[in-house]
Amino acid sequence: MIELIDIKKTFQGRTGMLSTADVHALRGVSLSIENGGALALLGESGCGKTTLGRILAGLETYDSGDIVIDGTSLNGAPKGERDRLQRKIQLIHQDPYAALNPVRTIEKSLTAPLKLRAKQSGKDKGWVEQRARELLTIVGLDPDEVLYKYPHNLSGGQRQRVVIARALTVDPTVLVADEAVSMIDVSLRLGILQLLNDLRRRLKIAVVFITHDVAAARYVALDGDICVIYRGEIFEYGRTDDVIHAPVNPYTQSLLSAVPVLVGLERPGPDRFIPLEELVTGRAVSGCLFSDRCPFAVEVCHQDHPDLLPIEELSRLNRCFFPTVRHVTAVSASGEASA
Amino acid sequence: MATQAATRVEQNACSIRGLTVVYRVERHEYAAVQDVDLDIPSGEITAVIGESGSGKTTLAMAMLNAVQPPGRIAAGSVVYPTAGDILRLSGKRLRRLRGDSISMVFQTSQNSLNPLKRIGGQAMDLARSHGRDPRGTLREARDLCAKMSLDADRVLTSYQHELSGGMRQRVGIMLALVLQPEVVLLDEPTTALDVLSQSEVLQILRDLQRERRFSAVLITHDMGVVAELADRVAVMYAGRIVERGRTRDVLIRPDHPYTRALIRSIPRLSGDLSEAVPLPGLPPSLTTIPDHGCVFRARCAYRMPICDTVQPPLESVGPDHDSACYLEGFPSD
Amino acid sequence: MNTIVSEEPQALSTYPSAQTPRHRPSSWAVAWDVLRRRPTGLLGLAILLFFIGMAAFGPLFYPAELPSNPSNIFAGPSPAHPLGTDFQGTDTLALVITGSRYVLLSAFLAGLFTAVFGTVTGLISGYYLGVPDSIITKLADFVLTIPSFPLLVVLSTVWKFGSPLAMGLVLGLIGWGALARAVRSQVLTLRERTFIEAARGLGFSSVHIIVKEIFPNITSYVAMKFLLAVTGAIYASVALFFLGVLPLSTNNWGVMLQFAFSQAGAMYTTQSLPYLLAPLACILLVTFGVVLFLDAVDEMLNPRLRRG
Repeated sequence: MIELIDIKKTFQGRTGMLSTADVHALRGVSLSIENGGALALLGESGCGKTTLGRILAGLETYDSGDIVIDGTSLNGAPKGERDRLQRKIQLIHQDPYAALNPVRTIEKSLTAPLKLRAKQSGKDKGWVEQRARELLTIVGLDPDEVLYKYPHNLSGGQRQRVVIARALTVDPTVLVADEAVSMIDVSLRLGILQLLNDLRRRLKIAVVFITHDVAAARYVALDGDICVIYRGEIFEYGRTDDVIHAPVNPYTQSLLSAVPVLVGLERPGPDRFIPLEELVTGRAVSGCLFSDRCPFAVEVCHQDHPDLLPIEELSRLNRCFFPTVRHVTAVSASGEASA
Repeated sequence: MATQAATRVEQNACSIRGLTVVYRVERHEYAAVQDVDLDIPSGEITAVIGESGSGKTTLAMAMLNAVQPPGRIAAGSVVYPTAGDILRLSGKRLRRLRGDSISMVFQTSQNSLNPLKRIGGQAMDLARSHGRDPRGTLREARDLCAKMSLDADRVLTSYQHELSGGMRQRVGIMLALVLQPEVVLLDEPTTALDVLSQSEVLQILRDLQRERRFSAVLITHDMGVVAELADRVAVMYAGRIVERGRTRDVLIRPDHPYTRALIRSIPRLSGDLSEAVPLPGLPPSLTTIPDHGCVFRARCAYRMPICDTVQPPLESVGPDHDSACYLEGFPSD
Repeated sequence: MNTIVSEEPQALSTYPSAQTPRHRPSSWAVAWDVLRRRPTGLLGLAILLFFIGMAAFGPLFYPAELPSNPSNIFAGPSPAHPLGTDFQGTDTLALVITGSRYVLLSAFLAGLFTAVFGTVTGLISGYYLGVPDSIITKLADFVLTIPSFPLLVVLSTVWKFGSPLAMGLVLGLIGWGALARAVRSQVLTLRERTFIEAARGLGFSSVHIIVKEIFPNITSYVAMKFLLAVTGAIYASVALFFLGVLPLSTNNWGVMLQFAFSQAGAMYTTQSLPYLLAPLACILLVTFGVVLFLDAVDEMLNPRLRRG
């Protein structure tokens, strides 16, 4: 189990020639991922979800807070141990083409990390080659077909599978997939999502799925949790289908409202709405951080800052003074309410 | 405009016939768009949906007669009612037509806006270059801004970098509509936007279209956007239109195996997730599109011997609904 | 329908790319494939190989001291002396062949040193930034501001550049600055690329990342700069000898030009024309070979430019 405890991260932003403005990417985020579990981080771009994923994978530092992996606090661990633990958390980038070295063949990209492991554990060259083929098979590729190709010879979906295979070379316990299908052809997306589910089931690898696409989040984290992040704060956190079908936070509701409805196959939720204006990242907002865009905001929302509080009967965490279930999610047109 | 809205005009804002666009790759010409027939009915939004490499963007470029080398329009016609076949025009008359008859909203509007000119100035320039009254155009621009819940005074005196991504996209839509062209080409108008901005821009387009009844072609890869915005849809695969019809009909009763598989491969918020099935295989690239037989057969679960020989023609499968598949009726599943 | 044929539907990896290598293509096979499709590159390579062969094996066929014949000076081309003879009656062809070794070897070494110094310093400064970067860029700027040719002239008054190694080393030391800056700027963009971050995330050391991930992305650029540095070094060394600032003890193309000019009066008479033109033609031909070969090198080392 991985626990994030009150992680804070501030970037020094530059707004003009002399003025600097701090960007609060994360303002104290606490969450946990079960071993082999699934967690979807949901939010608009600039909400801090990508920073959170990078911190998890050890590619970004945090200002305060702690990460506890299976009981070991990273703050307390020596650097070698910390690197070893965080290497088990692998980030899958959004753009698979950028994530692969363009001048190295797929074989080289896969065998290099395997050779490193072989050196550490005393395995031989045959193991490296065999393992590379094995990993490609696991991610649904034919080794003979792709091994000696360059990234530019592959399709987007194949590249992302190679990137996942490369992440598997270190036997990770967690894959952090940051918008991992948004740059892939529509007809190939579901295949990648299915692969992530498959890896969870077969290899017991936990998946943290970072996305703005609620439907994809539902597919990957159906038996897990959704954590909705806005401006570096958790706004709603609960079981995936509960959050999707009975959201209580207006920000979650606006995200769900924004999902295009396949009219004919689905009916839009009756309470569907659009937030008042666009996200302006630099803007200082007093009170609730969503109050400037929230159509339901009242006096108190502009003045006081709501805390993330549990809602007992829904087993949910929520950051809103007035948690209200609104029916904004599309339902199947065939009549039956979805489970 | 109002009278047009009241009585639905039964004519086409654009008709494409037998359009073939080829690209030259190493001494060979490959068809990115093959023998496409498509009518863009007046006052409706027609979506062209396809994956990358399906030819949808090439089709859009051909509608503007703006295919760049190594591409070339090999055959066909793109006829606008007032200007005629755009493929026969060049030079000044072609530039005139772009804007008068057809205008475009780009995926990233900031690339199409002049960074050194205020938005209002750009609208006036547009008017002058098309021989329109700049003042009247500016009035129209203000009117459009108001409809898109943009502060006209602020936006028209701004430079593009002073606007947010969603606002820029709305400005792009405003500039595309301000000369009241016969057809507006929307090229992935919401793809570069964030989720919430996307839903807002979709809402704006829907409202504007309802009110002004402009005709539009929506180029997209996203079935959700099609469902939200388009009256009709043409599904493209490997350079061909494999299915076309009213959006609702295509969504509820897709006929072509590709359309069916595409719709089934979309994870949804409603219903049972186990119904979502990935599409096997990969879309062909330009150089590997089969030159005979059905272009989809390599990924098709219902492949028959005849599919290997001749590309099936688009045939009616219902009122206002055509599909290019030999299969008659699906095995129930 | 009963007539459903479903062979090959599930194969996820049937991306129909033009060519599907099912085995690991060797670098030689790739290089040969590129040259086969680029006859001009092949011609360039042939020219370069010809001169390399001349420099490596040519001198073996001649005695250390070439015979001279004072009664047969400035002879025109004849079967015995295809390029005629010089002012001492020595065979010009023999002079060209034996004189190639010093020029080409020193130019090759100069190119090598330039490429190695420039690449290593550029990689280090671009990747590590900080203190190493500021030291290296300051050094590179310093080297760049030195007027290199006057410096060579001055240096040659105290140092005789007897061996090609000394000449190559000096030319390399004054030539690496520009390449270092260019490599550094390429590394600066490469180090921010996602695949470098991915390599870090997989636990690779900085040395591995520099050598195995970043360097392969700039090899074609470095190779081109190497070849251009070689031609530059040919000009520089030949010019030094031609100007006569270096002792004319060894025989090489520069010395030949100097003698053609000073001893044979090539500017005033036509009888020594073959003696003057032979080394010049060689220099031009080598440059021509390099230029033709450059294009092919880029394609050989950059998989993105390759077909298929």
